[in-house]
Amino acid sequence: MKTIIYTCPYVPAEWIAAHGLRASRLLLDHVDSASMFIRTEGVCPFVRSFISEVMKNKGAGGVVATTVCDQMRRAFDVLVRKSNLPAFLMNVPNTWQSLAAQKLYIDELKRLSRFLSRLGGKSPSNNTLAKIMLEYDAARGSILTAREYLSARQYAEAIAAFGRNGPDQTINRITGTEPQTDGVRLAMIGGPLMKQDFDLFDLIEQSGGRIVLDATETGERGLCVPFDHRRLRDEPLMELADAYFGGIRDASRRPNSELYKWLQRELASRDVQGIIFRRYLWCDIWHAELRRLKDFSNLPVLDIDTAGDNDIEQQRTVNRIRAFLEMLQ
Amino acid sequence: MICAGIDAGSRAIKTILIDTENMQVIAKGLADQGVEQDRLASELFKRVLKKNGINKKDVAAIVATGYGRSAVSIADTTITEITCHAVGVHHLVPEAMTVIDIGGQDSKLLRLDTAGRVRDFAMNDRCAAGTGRFLEVVAERLGVELESLGRMAANSQDPAAISSMCVVFAETEITGLLVSGTASEDIVAGVQASIAARIISMAGRNAETPIIFTGGVAMVSGMADAMQTALGQTVSICPDPQMTGALGAAILASKQLKKAST
Amino acid sequence: MSDIPKRITLQEWDLRYEQLEKAGTYEPDYGGPLSRHVEDGDQRLLKLRYDNSAAALRLWNFLLTEEDRLHQARAAGRKIVGTMKDLGTVPVMAYCFENIVAFYPDGAWWIPCVMELGAGLLEIADSLGIDESFCPVRAMLGAFVTGAHFPIPDMLVCSVGATCDDFSAIAQRLNGLGHPIFWWEIPHRRRPEPDETAVNLPGGFSAPKCQVEFVKSQLERIKTTLEGLAGEKLDERKLSAGIKKANQVRRYLTELRHLAFTAERCPLPALEMLIAEMLAIHFCSDRQETINVLKELLDEVTSRVRAGKGILDADAARIFWVNPVADLQVMNLLEDCGGRICGTEYLFTHALDIIPEDLPPLEALAQMALADPMAGSSIDRAERICGDIRLFGAEAVLISRIPGASHCALEGLVISEIVRDKFDIPVLEIEVPPVTDSMRPTVHTRLEALVETVKARRQK
Repeated sequence: MKTIIYTCPYVPAEWIAAHGLRASRLLLDHVDSASMFIRTEGVCPFVRSFISEVMKNKGAGGVVATTVCDQMRRAFDVLVRKSNLPAFLMNVPNTWQSLAAQKLYIDELKRLSRFLSRLGGKSPSNNTLAKIMLEYDAARGSILTAREYLSARQYAEAIAAFGRNGPDQTINRITGTEPQTDGVRLAMIGGPLMKQDFDLFDLIEQSGGRIVLDATETGERGLCVPFDHRRLRDEPLMELADAYFGGIRDASRRPNSELYKWLQRELASRDVQGIIFRRYLWCDIWHAELRRLKDFSNLPVLDIDTAGDNDIEQQRTVNRIRAFLEMLQ
Repeated sequence: MICAGIDAGSRAIKTILIDTENMQVIAKGLADQGVEQDRLASELFKRVLKKNGINKKDVAAIVATGYGRSAVSIADTTITEITCHAVGVHHLVPEAMTVIDIGGQDSKLLRLDTAGRVRDFAMNDRCAAGTGRFLEVVAERLGVELESLGRMAANSQDPAAISSMCVVFAETEITGLLVSGTASEDIVAGVQASIAARIISMAGRNAETPIIFTGGVAMVSGMADAMQTALGQTVSICPDPQMTGALGAAILASKQLKKAST
Repeated sequence: MSDIPKRITLQEWDLRYEQLEKAGTYEPDYGGPLSRHVEDGDQRLLKLRYDNSAAALRLWNFLLTEEDRLHQARAAGRKIVGTMKDLGTVPVMAYCFENIVAFYPDGAWWIPCVMELGAGLLEIADSLGIDESFCPVRAMLGAFVTGAHFPIPDMLVCSVGATCDDFSAIAQRLNGLGHPIFWWEIPHRRRPEPDETAVNLPGGFSAPKCQVEFVKSQLERIKTTLEGLAGEKLDERKLSAGIKKANQVRRYLTELRHLAFTAERCPLPALEMLIAEMLAIHFCSDRQETINVLKELLDEVTSRVRAGKGILDADAARIFWVNPVADLQVMNLLEDCGGRICGTEYLFTHALDIIPEDLPPLEALAQMALADPMAGSSIDRAERICGDIRLFGAEAVLISRIPGASHCALEGLVISEIVRDKFDIPVLEIEVPPVTDSMRPTVHTRLEALVETVKARRQK
């Protein structure tokens, strides 16, 4: 079975899986220092890492990128020229309120279907799609339910494993039993994390904090909303589109007011006392939200920017987190 | 009872001892930082004790802070410099609401509450262009003493625009300006403005007053004025600005001791 | 035609102005000596060099009095629409309304250069969390906060989607400050798939029909909103008339560019050519006057070319310039180093191409919007650049990176590879911040080296 790799949460794994292909959401690592892009000024470290990963990936049958950010759009241009891996650029609209934008998203899913079919996938029937969606929904639900019993790292890893491997093994992997209660209640907000960033969760816990809201793209925020099961059976593709395009809030949306509404609700309901804002150097989309988030939330916000190499940045990151927790404690 | 704070910064080690009865400073010292951070910190501490006739046994608690705090083996605990600077400044200027700390290799902005606790902070420790290093670079390039920069900037008619985000490239810019005949005074004023601009990014639109300036760079004349111009608000230099981290550490050592005994 | 075409300083322009005045040269009501703008704080003008023709004087005065026109429009009760990012589409529609004036607040990106950072706009952007890691268009935020550079528009229209991250983020920040924005989506233009109906767009790109339809639907929304603002309906007849007028501007510019880039001796400096091209995107807030200004410029250039006269040596290195510069002085610098502009791609070639007049007008406008070089891949953009290199006979390409602009990080790589593969000509990337004074030796060295390389290759 061919594996289709991607990173963007707006790419529905169910859609790929329903075509009989394996959907695998990449958990990127820091970029190889030998990469030609390591020295290119202005390139977002996540995008650098994505290009690097795709170029060296031997196992995938195809890659899907999206237009959510301009840097990723340009990365696609590089991949088209440098990589032999079949690649698809999915146009995910930044506007969201209009029917035209919603229709564009659905049309792009259909176009993605044609791409997947060219790679050996099969356009699914409604029943097939609905069945797969139910499986994914159940797995997602079990992860969300388990949140209180998992450490922040375990939770992030569970979400990552779900994205990487699909729903089959997910429920079995969740092993926490005791509700997590200690530590200053924090939210982590930002774009996607890389594998090395999961160490941050441990660091935060060691310093006396606890991430109760993982509002990064690779965390809870990047999961689609639960499906409406009745609608799922009648119009699975529409429901899929609504749950993903309508349900995932992001800083790239225009306007991105829904993200702030969601944050307001989640920050309050989880009694968050401080925010850790994780962003990449050269990621304009998230960088621009830092000050707005500070003004909006009235909570202390710790900015941790990264050039993508946690080893080099460790000292400064540790220092900031410790200072932040000292302040909150 | 005596408590001590050691601020093991990236460029200098500072130490302060306080009498916990009246929270007065009874001894202090400063030394250059180096590779053997632990040894240098210990030697400085011993020197200060000896100079002031204090026995090490009389020092009840030592807190280390700063970039190299983990390396200070004689410390009982470590606390970050963010917390320590806030405490130190609050002790000296109780009404302070915003603290700007610019050291040799980083800069920070702290927002305090009325009790002197840190409400929020922001840091620039990625790029030397917003730090004291930049001033050192321009002083070296112009062949002047650091202390004279303030006087030079005060005589500037038209501060130069420095565009690089990186102090290495900014050094090239300074050379370019000199070659093109830009007055040294204008270059210095431009560098100071550039450092101040980075503080604005951290401060936002309206930093709460009083705004207190601390750290080694606060001692460079003209920098407070540059900060004031950039922020459009009054900026006051903290008394003994280089020592606020160590002072805060000593005060926190005292607090920890009191807490432990109750 | 001016007697001897050349580039002169602002001080020399004062003398020249007296001569033109004595000779009774026609001046519009916004005319006058260039140096008067320095009193408004436009310090950069003291360091630039200008073409010495009456046509160039008119061009500069037209540009530097735009704020006055906007304020006059506000005072006269006309509605002001701030169009953002699309660079050439919405104003074509907006100017069809009697009661609307449209302009690009994006243009504030030049204020830090022109005022040599004196306006404090970048500091305001800093304080809003939009620091120097963003594109200089962040100055726009400062302009909205101070209100000192243009009247706050009655309506803001901004394209998103296939646009750069930094502008999108800056616009969202503006929105977050309390300025409502009408957002519209420009999809990422792609090549049609085998089972899709293809549409050939102006300028040479192609796109699937469904994308054209989508953009059309977006323009319908904008049209409806503008109608509401203006209190006036915009029918096909009016829109067609507006497109014809816009095409007049584009035709003059096409001719001007062709003459300027292909003439044996460069007839007009790079700086004036840059300003002239910029008029296409929103007509500098006066569509008819744009036509008049360009006509005069074109007449001047035409007669220079016929007379074989130019402002530079005949052996100037022919450089194709990609991306606009944040510091206008760099255009002078190229010529000081022995180069001349032979082709440009300033991010808005779609605002220079002729809008089809044989199609329903909204369809035509949609096609034109989708032809935006920035809405598609860097590969497409590079192909178009290659076409123009061939057309204008450029000997080298200069890619001017805009500091902080998200598209510049990777597209330069793609463009330079494609150009080198096709033509084997030198490609140089430089970064140009809003004020390059301190970097002048560095930039100068690079431009000079590029010119030397071009001239050395001629000898092989």
